[in-house]
Amino acid sequence: MSTAISTNKAEKVNPAVKSTAYRAKRRFIIISLVPILLLFGVFAFLPIAWSLGLSAFKYDPLSSNAIFVGAENYIRMFQDSIFLKSLWVTFKFVFIAVLINIVITLLIASAIQRVRIPWLKNGFRTVFFLPTIAPLAGTAIVWNTMFNYNDGLFNMILAKLNMAPIQWLSDPHYALYSVIMMTLWADIGYNIVLFIAGLDSIPDMYYEAATLEGAGRWHVFLHITLPLLRRTLLFVSITTVVSYFQAFPQFQIMTKGGPFNETRVLSLQIYEQAFSSSNMGYASAMATVFLMIILLVTLLQLRWGRTQWEH
Amino acid sequence: MPRKFSLWEGFTIAVLAVIACVMLLPYVWMVLSSLKSNMDIVSGSGGLFPSKPSLDGYRTVFSEAPFVTWLLNSLVTSVIITVVTLFTSALAGYVFAKHQFKGKKLLFILILATMMIPFQVIMIPTYLITAELGLVNHLLAIILPNLVSSYGVFLAKQFIEEIPQELLEAARMDGSGEFRLMLRIVMPLIMPMLSALGIFTFMNSWNNYLWPLIVLNDESKMTVPLALVYFNGTHQVNYNVVMSAAVLITIPVIIMFLIFQKQFIKGLAMTGMK
Repeated sequence: MSTAISTNKAEKVNPAVKSTAYRAKRRFIIISLVPILLLFGVFAFLPIAWSLGLSAFKYDPLSSNAIFVGAENYIRMFQDSIFLKSLWVTFKFVFIAVLINIVITLLIASAIQRVRIPWLKNGFRTVFFLPTIAPLAGTAIVWNTMFNYNDGLFNMILAKLNMAPIQWLSDPHYALYSVIMMTLWADIGYNIVLFIAGLDSIPDMYYEAATLEGAGRWHVFLHITLPLLRRTLLFVSITTVVSYFQAFPQFQIMTKGGPFNETRVLSLQIYEQAFSSSNMGYASAMATVFLMIILLVTLLQLRWGRTQWEH
Repeated sequence: MPRKFSLWEGFTIAVLAVIACVMLLPYVWMVLSSLKSNMDIVSGSGGLFPSKPSLDGYRTVFSEAPFVTWLLNSLVTSVIITVVTLFTSALAGYVFAKHQFKGKKLLFILILATMMIPFQVIMIPTYLITAELGLVNHLLAIILPNLVSSYGVFLAKQFIEEIPQELLEAARMDGSGEFRLMLRIVMPLIMPMLSALGIFTFMNSWNNYLWPLIVLNDESKMTVPLALVYFNGTHQVNYNVVMSAAVLITIPVIIMFLIFQKQFIKGLAMTGMK
C-alpha cells in the first residue's frame, strides 16, 4: 500500500496532499475494477462453478426442476457408447489434424521465409493467411458444396483423373479426413505467420557458421532451426491443440456428427446434449471431463516444453 | 551464394506458387458457384464455370431475407464489443501494472486462469444466466458476456509495465487524474498492442458462431454466420444463393484484412512472442 506513495517526493512534503492523492488512487482502482470484475464474475467465474455444480444434477431447463443425482451423470457417461465414441473421435481428430498442421505449416513457413523477394514473400503469406479471417461457419458451408457427391469440386477433379467419385462427408472412412482437410485449409495461416516470425528471430550468424562448416540444408534445419524454434513450437502446439479440441462449427454444419458418429466430437456432443436434448446436467458432466482433458494436455505440453529447454 | 540461390529459390517459389493456387481454389469455387443460375444447378451439367452467369443468387439473398439487418447486427455487436474490450483491457491492465492493492496477485491469476477454460465448459451456465437476465434473442446477449477479455487484460498489463514510472509521476505532478492519465498517456503508448487486440477482437466476434447459435433464435436478430447457415438450410438445392451470401460476407472481411494487413500480422506475431 505505502510503497507506491513513498517514492513521490511531493507527497512527502505535505501529508494532506498525500492523503488526498492516496484516496484518489484508491477511488480510481475501485471505480475501474468493480465493473470489470463484475463482468468476469458473472460471465466467467460463476459459470465455471455453476457448471461443476450442475454436473451433479439431472436438469432439464424446460421442466425447470433439478434433481440431485450425485455422481450418476459421471457413471452414466462411461457406460454411454456414444460419449466414449465421441471421446475417441475427438482425440483422433486432434492428434491427426495437429500433427499434419504443424508439419505442413513449418515446411511452408520455412519455404516462405527463404523467399527473398519482399513482395512475393508478403504475397504468399497473405494467400495462406486469407482463409483464417473468413468465418469458419461460412468456410464450412463452402466446403460442403465442394464435397457434394454429384456436382462438387472434388468429385469433378476425380472425374477428370478418371477416378471413381467419393462420398466425402457420408462415407465413414472419409468423413473425418474430409473435415480435417477443410480445417487445415481454414486454419494453417495462423501457424505459418507464427513460424515465420519465429524463424525471422533466429540470428543469421548461426546459419552463416553452419554454411562455413559445410552443413547441408537438412542438417541445418534439424540441428539449428528446430532447437532454436522450440519456444515458438511449444506455443504453436499448445494453442493448436487447445483450439482443435474445441472445434465446433465445421462438425455441426458439415456432418452433424455422422456418419455412424464417426465425426461426433465431444464439443458437438456437449452442445447437442445441452441444447437439443435438454440434458443440461449430463452435458455439464461431459463438459467437466472436457475441461480436465484440456488442463491435463496443456500441463503435459508445458512440462514437456520445460524439460526440453533445460538441455 | 548468388548461383546457389537462383536454383533452390526458384524451386521453392514454384512449389509455393502451386500450393498457393490450391489455397485460392475454394474462393474461385465460391465466386463461380454464386454466379451459376438455378438452371445450371438443376440441369446438373456439372462444370466449374457457370454456363450462363447470372445474379439470381444475389437477388434472392436480398429479396428473401433481411440480409442488411443481419449485417448490421454483426457490425453493431462487433464494434461495441471491440471498443469496450479495448477500454476495459487497457484500464484493468493499467491498474494491475501500476497500482498496488490487496489481493492483486490472486485476482490477476484468477483472470488469467479463465483463459484456459474452453467455451464449451461455461456455455450452459452462461446461457442460463443470460436467460435469467431476460436477454435471450436480444443482441445484448451477444455483447454483454464479451465486454472483457482475460487475454486483453494480460497483454495490456505486459505492455503497460514497460512504461517508465517517471513518465506517470510527471503527469501526476501536473495534476492529472488517474483516468486522464490512462486515456491520455497510457493508451497512446500501447497503441500498437491495442490495434492488434482490436482487430482480433473484432474478427472473433464477427466470426463467432457457437454463442449466437445458442442465444439467438429469432430470424431478425441473427448475426452473419448464423445467416449463412440459415441460407444453407433453406437453399441446399440452389446453392448459388448460399454461395452469394458467402461472397457478400467474405469480400468485406478480405478487404478489411488487406487494409490492416500489416498490423494484423505484426499483432499475431507479437501475441505469439509475448
